[in-house]
Amino acid sequence: MNIILAVILLLLMLYIDKKRGLKLFLSLGLNFVILIVIFYFTALGLNAIVCSLVGCFAVSCVMLFLVNGESIKTISSIKAIGIVLLILSVLIFTMTYISRIAGFGYESYEEINMFSYDVKIDFTDIAIAMILISLIGATVDSSIAISSALYEVHENNKELTRKELFISGMNIGKDILCTTTNTLMFAFLGDFMTLLIWFQNCDYTFLQAVNAKTFAAQIIRILFSAIGCIIVIPITAYITAGALKKTEKNIDAQTLS
Amino acid sequence: MKKVIGAVLVLLAIAALIFVYNDDFMYSQQIMKITKIETVSEQTSHNSLGLSEEHYTKKISGVICNGKNKGEQKEMMYEQTYSSVVTDRFRTGDKVIIDGTEIQLKRDFYIVLITYVFVILIYIVGSYKGLLSVASVIINSVVFYIGLKLYIGGLNLMFVCSIEVIVFAVLSLMLAGGVNKKTLSAVISVIISSIVMMALLLIVVKTTDYKGINFMELSFLTVPAEDIVLPELLIGSVGAVMDVAITIASSMSELIDKNKDISEKDLNKSAKEIGKDIMGTMSNVLFFTYLCAGLPVFVLAMRNGFLMRNYIASNFSLELARFLTGSIGIVITIPISAFVSIKILKRGAK
Repeated sequence: MNIILAVILLLLMLYIDKKRGLKLFLSLGLNFVILIVIFYFTALGLNAIVCSLVGCFAVSCVMLFLVNGESIKTISSIKAIGIVLLILSVLIFTMTYISRIAGFGYESYEEINMFSYDVKIDFTDIAIAMILISLIGATVDSSIAISSALYEVHENNKELTRKELFISGMNIGKDILCTTTNTLMFAFLGDFMTLLIWFQNCDYTFLQAVNAKTFAAQIIRILFSAIGCIIVIPITAYITAGALKKTEKNIDAQTLS
Repeated sequence: MKKVIGAVLVLLAIAALIFVYNDDFMYSQQIMKITKIETVSEQTSHNSLGLSEEHYTKKISGVICNGKNKGEQKEMMYEQTYSSVVTDRFRTGDKVIIDGTEIQLKRDFYIVLITYVFVILIYIVGSYKGLLSVASVIINSVVFYIGLKLYIGGLNLMFVCSIEVIVFAVLSLMLAGGVNKKTLSAVISVIISSIVMMALLLIVVKTTDYKGINFMELSFLTVPAEDIVLPELLIGSVGAVMDVAITIASSMSELIDKNKDISEKDLNKSAKEIGKDIMGTMSNVLFFTYLCAGLPVFVLAMRNGFLMRNYIASNFSLELARFLTGSIGIVITIPISAFVSIKILKRGAK
């Protein structure tokens, strides 16, 4: 069934744009391979946080350079994403450590009861890796949107100072924020539905549901995805504004000499 | 003004955190604050692959914080493992909920904490628009919850979700864009695109009969998994569909405003141009949001000696279906919303 869905998706993407569609579809395939590699190394017992950080960086490169090509926009974006990943990994580590959302809640026992739990791998790291991987798509999405838009602004009005560029980047960011929060929220609600129906059928009280590990892990994951897209906005705007102004100076210097 | 609202938000956050930290009286189960943890015994076990795992039996003592035994000391035993697959690591100072012999961490404080971090950050970066999107999230969740209640009450889930999609589209698009022709064309595009997407999905499901989809991860359900899957796919995609519809509708209206004489052909071309850019990033958002969910079970399976080849197909099947449906929704919405917005906005312009 998935193969047929994938073929439909490929045909639709080709209909919108042949070259771009094909590139995009290939990059999704490549990302899937990278994802499996991250998962595989994690399962081998390598540090899950390091694996996922390296993997996140790799998939960002695929999304930015393979699909959008190398330019000031994508280079600024990748720098911003690197910084965001570092800041977030500290935050996520703290949150996962204090809220102890590692491992599986009661709700998933049936899914995993055929496995032995003696696996000698710390599931706190796994939980952190999962949050990091889940937020990378949305973060890259808002980062590239900001840097492309800023590039256009700069092209149309070269007079703008670095500060003005930054402010216009933040203004564009506000619009992106609303739509991305929406996309993320519904994607998670779809995921949530099964869990909520389960809570209803098992007569969980509100407090029981809120304290359940499965619920807490989901909420923390969605909120970190949203936080990723929020903080990437000012960072990308700052870096892109700086980079655009710097290349302008270089070009000026070249034309003068 | 921005600073005043910011200060109010921070104060509200602090008040909420203090309240949630001390809300033990609201629980019917016993809440205990851990004062001491001792390791009673320690043993190492080996699984079939020869991996050794430490198991600890721990004794925790603490003070009961609510109910008629408030203030009394209590001691309990619990088991902790190195991997923490199904166990938790408690620390002194933690508040835990005691339910019979089960001990669970009280997590409400952390959920309120992260929620407020999110709200304050979105306010700093997005100011009023950011708060508006938080409001839209809250309203939509309430609608979603009412829908679930109706389903539990006996209504057909697919029917409930279809109605919900219309309500979601009207509410969130109106909140984001106000009441105007742009919003109207976006709402109509969302409805048509969802119908086309579901029709495609239904045809695929009918011809393949869910072949290759593993419902294992829905196994905790008390209702047949097939009843839940299609509505779930629909709700999961509608956010992305709305996102695309409003982007295309806004740009079309912008183009028509700038140049009243622009031809339909040119508009269609620009729509494709814009669509080209958004379909890439949007499908990536869905890809990682869904597929990362497979990680913990994957690690567990690999660590139990399952073959990766067999495992990839079954472990990712449902998540892949979610991602593929969402992406099909995104791509299908591009031409549909271009067509709808051109028809509606052009008519008004004449």
